[in-house]
Amino acid sequence: MTVVELDGVVKRYRSGQEVIEALKGVDFRAERGEMVTVIGPSGSGKSTMLNLVGLLDTPSEGAVRLDGRDVTDFTEDELTEERRSGIGFVFQAFHLLPMLTATENVELPSMWDTSRDRRDRAVDLLQRVGLGDRLDHTPSQLSGGQQQRVAIARALINEPEILLADEPTGNLDQDTGRTILDELTRLKEIENIAIVAVTHDEQLLEYADRVVRLVDGEIQP
Amino acid sequence: MSVTDLLWRVPSVQMAWRNLGRNRIRTALATLGIVIGVVAIASLGIAGVALQQQATADLGSLTNEVMISSGPDSDSDGITDEQVEEIRSVAGDAAVVPEKTNQTTLSTRDGREAFVSVTAMTRPSAMYTVSAGDNPDRFHSGALLSNGTAMQLGYELGDPVEYDGQLYRIRGLIEAEGGFGPGGNELVLPLSALAEQEHYDSVTVVAADGDEAQAIADRLETRFNEGDDEVLSVTSFASAQESIGSFLNTLNLALLGIGSISLVVASVAILNVMLMSTIERRGEIGVLRAVGIRRGEVLRMILAEAMFLGVIGGFVGAVASLAVGLAVFEVLAGDPTLVLAWPSVRYLVLGFGFAVVASMLSGLYPAWKAANDPPVEALRG
Repeated sequence: MTVVELDGVVKRYRSGQEVIEALKGVDFRAERGEMVTVIGPSGSGKSTMLNLVGLLDTPSEGAVRLDGRDVTDFTEDELTEERRSGIGFVFQAFHLLPMLTATENVELPSMWDTSRDRRDRAVDLLQRVGLGDRLDHTPSQLSGGQQQRVAIARALINEPEILLADEPTGNLDQDTGRTILDELTRLKEIENIAIVAVTHDEQLLEYADRVVRLVDGEIQP
Repeated sequence: MSVTDLLWRVPSVQMAWRNLGRNRIRTALATLGIVIGVVAIASLGIAGVALQQQATADLGSLTNEVMISSGPDSDSDGITDEQVEEIRSVAGDAAVVPEKTNQTTLSTRDGREAFVSVTAMTRPSAMYTVSAGDNPDRFHSGALLSNGTAMQLGYELGDPVEYDGQLYRIRGLIEAEGGFGPGGNELVLPLSALAEQEHYDSVTVVAADGDEAQAIADRLETRFNEGDDEVLSVTSFASAQESIGSFLNTLNLALLGIGSISLVVASVAILNVMLMSTIERRGEIGVLRAVGIRRGEVLRMILAEAMFLGVIGGFVGAVASLAVGLAVFEVLAGDPTLVLAWPSVRYLVLGFGFAVVASMLSGLYPAWKAANDPPVEALRG
């Protein structure tokens, strides 16, 4: 089942006087239960593509569909709601909030939603990523690999359909990176979500169900 | 459930509190700016109140009097008995004290001399305060002499003074009043002493308060003076009190203005601090937005940070101002507890309110800017 779909997406940026075309008509889809790795040299448009899939940005041309719904013309507030309920993010630099404990960081996306208490699910997720004994640690008390696992738990708190990872192993050593990728693979199956990972780390290719190569804003066959 | 627990349930407030805790020195310095602003506003306001209360107290003994003397359009060279009776009927319950005045030089056997003004009246108790001896309501014999003059001449109670060939025994010593009040170098005698003077030189009406004095003065004006004619010249110090009051109000506003400047400076400092801290946290706010935190929620979080600075700074400032106020009232009025009256407390409330409002206003722009930063841009940091 297709979770997210880019249809003939073009993204242009204005950089000073010139207009840069970062994506030149990209067709892309991700299914539940698969991990798609987008690989390509820097400047190939990987991050731009991930931003569009993650509804952080809107395309200049083409359409973005989430669960078959066209979200291309959604307002920023509507996109925020979609991100909140359907999309999880994992960043290269983890991006945990330093003043919050591991559990609170995991709860963060649902923090303002006072109608339901996500504490139990946060603890459950942390236990599943092997941090059951680090619930009240702050990010500065955790190693890089542990922080990234907290970030993964955070991405899953709202039961998303898709998890987007931007260089998830970029700040980790090889062994730690491997455990993170094992973790993602496991969660992909348990939660039945689509994972789209952007990287230039060859290690990720082993874990990918499908690899998409992006060069100069175009997907290579 | 306590208030803190309740506050804790508001995510924006909880996040704001933690964010402020991340850079305690910066938070403390921003708060200090607000504290100084509040202290400036509130303590200057309180000082103004203390000054005003003190000035009113000092002038109080004078402002309830109406002075009446013969005007340029009078037919006689003074105030006649009939006029005094009319004044009495206009004045109602207020004491009416007609006076005849003269000057003389008192001299003692050993050659000491003092120049005094001589006032003849029947009721010195309405006009003077006596520090020793008695102060008669009906004055038919004896004399009252100013304390200072008595000391200068070596006179004591019971000693005789001579005026116009007659001897008068000193019954009381008049205490000199501060400010514009009567009491310096005066000899007060019964009316009979100046019997050869047919008319009164002046009449003093002593009312209960300044407002009544003003009302009596206005009634006397309409009764005696038609058009531009001035049969009797009527002077009330109530109007003087009003102008002093309005001057003090102006002074108070000026002081508050100076105080507000420091609060404006403090809110600019808060604007700067909030702006810097949101710029520093740009990437973090981008993450918040990426994981689905709404713009309004980010806005509220940053506004709550500014509000905390204002509330804490305002509270500490109000407490400090209260201490300043206690000291000011102790020095000016001798009673520090007067600061707890509403006219002073008002400035504590005002200072606190200003601090919160100014901080929130300063937080508005940084909060709006952070909330509306496109997440893609913000994530780049």
